[in-house]
Amino acid sequence: MADQKAYNPVDIEISDDDIYEAMKDIRGYLDITPADVKELYGLAYRHAYERIACSIKARDVMTAQVISVKKTTPLKDVARIMAEYGISGVPVVDEDGTVAGVISEKDFFSRMGGKGTKSFMSLLAACMEGKEGCPADPIRAETAADIMSSPPLAVEAHAPLRDIGNIFSENHINRVPVVDETGRLIGIVSRTDVLRGPLLKERPCSP
Amino acid sequence: MIRNYFTKMKGASKSPPPVGISEILWSWIGAFLGISTVALISYRVLEGKGLTMIIGSFGASAVLIYGAVKSPLAQPRNLLGGHVLSALIGVTSYQILHSHIWLAAAVAVATSIACMHGTKTLHPPGGATALIAVIGGKSVHSLGYLYAIIPTAVGASIMLAIALLVNNIPKTRRYPEFWL
Repeated sequence: MADQKAYNPVDIEISDDDIYEAMKDIRGYLDITPADVKELYGLAYRHAYERIACSIKARDVMTAQVISVKKTTPLKDVARIMAEYGISGVPVVDEDGTVAGVISEKDFFSRMGGKGTKSFMSLLAACMEGKEGCPADPIRAETAADIMSSPPLAVEAHAPLRDIGNIFSENHINRVPVVDETGRLIGIVSRTDVLRGPLLKERPCSP
Repeated sequence: MIRNYFTKMKGASKSPPPVGISEILWSWIGAFLGISTVALISYRVLEGKGLTMIIGSFGASAVLIYGAVKSPLAQPRNLLGGHVLSALIGVTSYQILHSHIWLAAAVAVATSIACMHGTKTLHPPGGATALIAVIGGKSVHSLGYLYAIIPTAVGASIMLAIALLVNNIPKTRRYPEFWL
C-alpha cells in the first residue's frame, strides 16, 4: 500500500496560496471559495489520473526490441548478456518464441552461495570471506531453464498501465513480458516504463 | 461528533480574492443600465395602467447578472427559469392559502427553492419573486398569473438583454457561460 501511495501524484498537494493566486489570475468575481476550488482540483486530478492509468496500454510504454534468452542458454551466457546490456532481468523463451519464464538478478542470488544468500551484498561478503570459493560455483553448469521464475507473469499488449502497476506491487517484481495471443514475446514493460509513460513527453522544468 | 459539529462552525476556507477596479466599474454600469431600463418602462410607460415592470427581486438579480457574471446562478437559464417558475409558485401559493398569509409566504419560498433546484434553475432572487407574489399587496394580487409574465418574465428578459450587451464589451468579461 505504501508503495502505491508514493506513486500517486495527487498527493503532491497544491497549496492554498496556489489556489488563491490562481483565482486572482482570473479577473472577475468567482462565485466559489478557495477550499471548494481545491477540492474540485483534487477530484479532477484523480479522475485524470484514473483515465490515464486506464487508457495507456502496455503497447504504449513497452520496449519492443526486447533482449531474451533461450531455455537452453547456459547461465554464464545469461549473466554475460545481462551485464552487456545493463539489464537486471531477461525473459526466457522456447524455441518458438513463447515466453517460458523470467530471470532476474534475484533468481541468480537465491541459487548462489549456499546459505540463503539473497542480495548482491551478501554474495560480495561471501566472496570476500573466500571460504567457499566462488559463490557462483553451484550454478556454473546450469541453464536458463533451471533458475527462471516460471510460469511467467505476462500481460497482453492491451493491458492498462493500472493493471501492470498492480502486478508489480502485488508480486514484488520489476518487469513483466508482453505477449501476443499465442504467448509469444513481443515486448517488456519495466517499473521505469510505467512511471515514465505519461510523463515522457513533458517539457523540462524551468530553472 | 458534537465537537466536530461545532468545529465546522469555525469555517474552513478564506474569502475569495477582491476584484479589480474595472470589474467594479463594469458591474456598476451594467446594473445602472439594466435597472434604469426596467424602471423607466415601469414609471414612464406602464404607470397608471395598473401594470409594473419592476419588482424588488430584480435588484438581487442585478447583483448576479452584472456583478457575478461567471456564477452558475447568474446564467440565462437560471435568471429566466428561476424567476418565472417562482412567480408561478408564488401566485399559486397565494391563491390557495391566502387565508393563512404566513403559510402562503413560507410555502411559496420553500417550494420555489425546491423546484429551482430540481430544474437546475436555482436563482436566489427567485425566492424573492415568489415571496412578493404573496406579500406584495393588492397591486400584485390583482395581476393573478399575469404576474409571471409582466413584470417577471418580460422584466427579466430586458435585464438579460442588457447583460448580454454590456457584459461582452470588456475584454475580461463574457456572458453567458451557458444558455441551457
